[in-house]
Amino acid sequence: MRSIVSLSAMAVAISVSVFAGSSFAQDKPVKLGVMLPLSGPAALAGTSILEGIQFAAEENNAKGGVLGQQVELVIEDDEGNATKGVTAVRKLIEQEGVAAISGTYVSGVALAATKVAREFKVPMISAGSTSSDVTDYNEAGDPWFFRAFPGSREQARQSAVDMVKKLDATKVAVLHENSVYGKSLSDSLAANLAEVGGAIILTETYNPDERDFFSVLTKVRAAQPDAVYIAGLMDAGAQIIKQSAELGVETQIMGSGSMMSDKLIELAGPASEGFAVSSMFEPSTPNEFGAAFTERFRAKFNKEPDVYSALGYDSMNVLIEAVRRAGVADGAAIQAALKGMDDVPLVQGPQGTVADFDEQGSVPFKIGLAIVRNGKREWLPFD
Amino acid sequence: MVSDLVLLPQFLTNGLVIGSGYVLVAVGLTLIFGILHIVNFAHGEFYMLGGFAAVLGSQLLGLPALPTLLVVAVVMAAFGLVVERVVFRPLGGKDPTNAIIASFGLSVLLQNLMLKTVGAEPMAVKSGFAPGAIQIGNVFITAERIAIVAAMAVIVAALLLVLRYTWTGRALRSLSENPTVALISGVNVRRVSLITFVIGSVLAGLSGALMSTVFMVQPNSGALIVMKAFIIVVVAGMGSIEGAIIVGLALGLIESLVAGYMGNELRDIVGFLIVILVLAVRPQGLFGLKTERS
Amino acid sequence: MRTPLILLLTTAIACALPAVLESGYFINVAIIALIYVILASSLDIMMGWTGKFSFAHAAFFGIGAYTAAMMQRSFGTDLWAHLPAGMAAAALFGVLLGLPSLRLQGHFLAIMSIAFQTVVYLVLAQWTDLTGGHYGLPVEVSPELGNVSTFYFVTLGCTLVACLFVWFLTQSRFGDTLTAIRDDETLARTIGMDTNVIKIVAFAISSALAGGAGVLMAHHIRGVTPNDYTVMTSATIVAMVVLGGRGKFWGPIVGALILTILPEVLSDLAEYKHIMYGALLIFMIMVMPQGVVGALTGRKAK
Repeated sequence: MRSIVSLSAMAVAISVSVFAGSSFAQDKPVKLGVMLPLSGPAALAGTSILEGIQFAAEENNAKGGVLGQQVELVIEDDEGNATKGVTAVRKLIEQEGVAAISGTYVSGVALAATKVAREFKVPMISAGSTSSDVTDYNEAGDPWFFRAFPGSREQARQSAVDMVKKLDATKVAVLHENSVYGKSLSDSLAANLAEVGGAIILTETYNPDERDFFSVLTKVRAAQPDAVYIAGLMDAGAQIIKQSAELGVETQIMGSGSMMSDKLIELAGPASEGFAVSSMFEPSTPNEFGAAFTERFRAKFNKEPDVYSALGYDSMNVLIEAVRRAGVADGAAIQAALKGMDDVPLVQGPQGTVADFDEQGSVPFKIGLAIVRNGKREWLPFD
Repeated sequence: MVSDLVLLPQFLTNGLVIGSGYVLVAVGLTLIFGILHIVNFAHGEFYMLGGFAAVLGSQLLGLPALPTLLVVAVVMAAFGLVVERVVFRPLGGKDPTNAIIASFGLSVLLQNLMLKTVGAEPMAVKSGFAPGAIQIGNVFITAERIAIVAAMAVIVAALLLVLRYTWTGRALRSLSENPTVALISGVNVRRVSLITFVIGSVLAGLSGALMSTVFMVQPNSGALIVMKAFIIVVVAGMGSIEGAIIVGLALGLIESLVAGYMGNELRDIVGFLIVILVLAVRPQGLFGLKTERS
Repeated sequence: MRTPLILLLTTAIACALPAVLESGYFINVAIIALIYVILASSLDIMMGWTGKFSFAHAAFFGIGAYTAAMMQRSFGTDLWAHLPAGMAAAALFGVLLGLPSLRLQGHFLAIMSIAFQTVVYLVLAQWTDLTGGHYGLPVEVSPELGNVSTFYFVTLGCTLVACLFVWFLTQSRFGDTLTAIRDDETLARTIGMDTNVIKIVAFAISSALAGGAGVLMAHHIRGVTPNDYTVMTSATIVAMVVLGGRGKFWGPIVGALILTILPEVLSDLAEYKHIMYGALLIFMIMVMPQGVVGALTGRKAK
């Protein structure tokens, strides 16, 4: 209790000093929290997202920071586990005194963390967690958990349309990872496919660390679908694509958003030719803001940004902009500012995509579809 | 639900490949766990390190397949030697649970050390074989998968020959049957234990290298397969290499059939249910002769 | 009888913690540490006193937690109903694991318990209709327990009761029969002890306490997800017992406190946390295999 009191007292003191027009605590940086799985099974995504987040903070700091201060990121590893997540979020808020948090990647952990963060009136903005359930938990019109990209339901709805309209596939086999990410996409796809005249003829689950897909792909081959939809991560995706070719499965394969990665093409090799991925971001994006981000990212890291670096960048960039607009590093003020960001551009999505959070705190922008041709992804035009 | 018997040959082939991989990992563990009675949870990380050693050989040094395997064997022999000397030998003879804890620490240490140094992204090991499918009738397979089965046959045959016809092998077998008698009859238990441990870690590394040509390698690659290997050794009966071969292949086939005819999500649970059942009914394992005494 | 007094004294001091520790973060770490004290102490009934190794403690921990979440979903019950139910459910599964394990020793028991642990984890993660899959299930805490300090006192109370119970259990005649089994099971059977019944009862008690800890955890985290109840969690609890000292009342308590607080202290070195954790475990087991408490009391005895 005491810490809440002292925290709100601090917030009042800060806002008073701001309104009085004085520059407060010159030497104190603006602290923003980051929580991500940096070890454990989800570390692959976590470290990549962190790169984007840190890049956004560095860029903003180079331009003079926010509220006349530098942004300081306080980074906590939640290990993709709810107990660690609750500890991490409390540490960020109560110990480090961060005003807002970018995090986290695993949906179950994001939900556990946002329950705590909301009590302290600290807004969170997703750093990769996709499940619509987490934003559904928000009270409509007063979200405390934001996501600067579409949730699983919206992603699957658009994928269902793309599947039928762009790939001309109506009989679909689904392979999904046994995780919140895989399951929520798979469930939503099943519900949406029927509406656009498609049907799921086979659904199979795989465990996240599974690497042999021959048996499950044998079933896929026998079922003769028009297309295979994979809802899962890049490493398993690469295996499924490679092993499909080895097993003579000559079907169009479409992957969920996490498979937008050059590494996947490298690992899957020639088998990735023709692979379609529902893509929220491409280095070759027609989105001018995104294209400029790609340029700068390349110059800095000497590699191509992927979907994780892009969403990490958006997450932190939007957050810093919200702090700027709030005029004070205070959670409630930042949350209020986040509700009016419809002129802040995102690097993800088509040209002109802005952080226009809806009632539930999500940004349902148009997702693209990219196809691998000659070892390169090509983004199909948005319709 | 596809329950077509037409697919059976493909499922059996898949199972044979996966089973061969299990056998490769399990025979190394049979030596370390079954004979030396060291519960080495880090065996999966030995497997993973073998995969990365193969990446070193095939990608960084650009070596062909056989010299790469030699690199793997040398690296893993040296590594096994150090681990036995530094960790397991000092703990030997005392409470066996100490070694369990130490190996658990070693597993966490190695996994995270690799995560820090090479990152979480998977790496491919080049086999030198032409990529793509080989079709025999209705069954598809790849050269790399055939190589796993062949390598399993060669390595296991070589191991059985060594055990039967060399002095070390005979000493090892006597050690597995009765350490006290072995000691009395002049077997240098320390030396034989060291050699056994080194052979076990080389086998783990070789299996990691071979499997990585098909499944790639990541710091957490060994986590699940080590559990499967423990299942195989226990179900087969401690120290029974022939048993480990049969059970390893059987587990691969069963998993493949379960994935094919029942549902892919059930494949990992099957092995664990089998080991519970076997331990409850026949604790000495299917091919074990004597019961373990505490 | 000095130990229970010291325990009461320690608890009294622990009561002052929320006032001293300004931040809810520290109280949160304290709650998790206390829950792990229950887990480690209860595991020690098996490991230290009965000499039976188990890598399945997190399974019972999870069964308790999921019992709470599922009961609340179906009947809208609260913590006080969940505690006995979660303990009963975990005890039941403890007997279920105990029965086929009766004949097993050492390594085989370790493998058996790992298999059981993995099966429980896979069921929690995959039986989505029942358990919510990886997303888990939410748990709402009744308003009077909603404050983190209040929940700390509840957890502290439960931990005190659990520790006192373990103390009196291990000092009782039943405790003597457990050590008899540990020291020589064959002898214990020869002198007329029904070792099977005793082992099953010990298994049930140990599991029940873990189930209670799970109920507390579910309420503290306000939900359950399978990733909190993995074989890694089990191994961590085992490590706590070994690090602190097996078969010593204070051993698991000290071990649990070290291993929950240490990672938080090390979190400035978060990147190397796991590497250091692994190295520390190897180092400790080689230097003081009898555990911290074992080493300290051993020296005093000399």
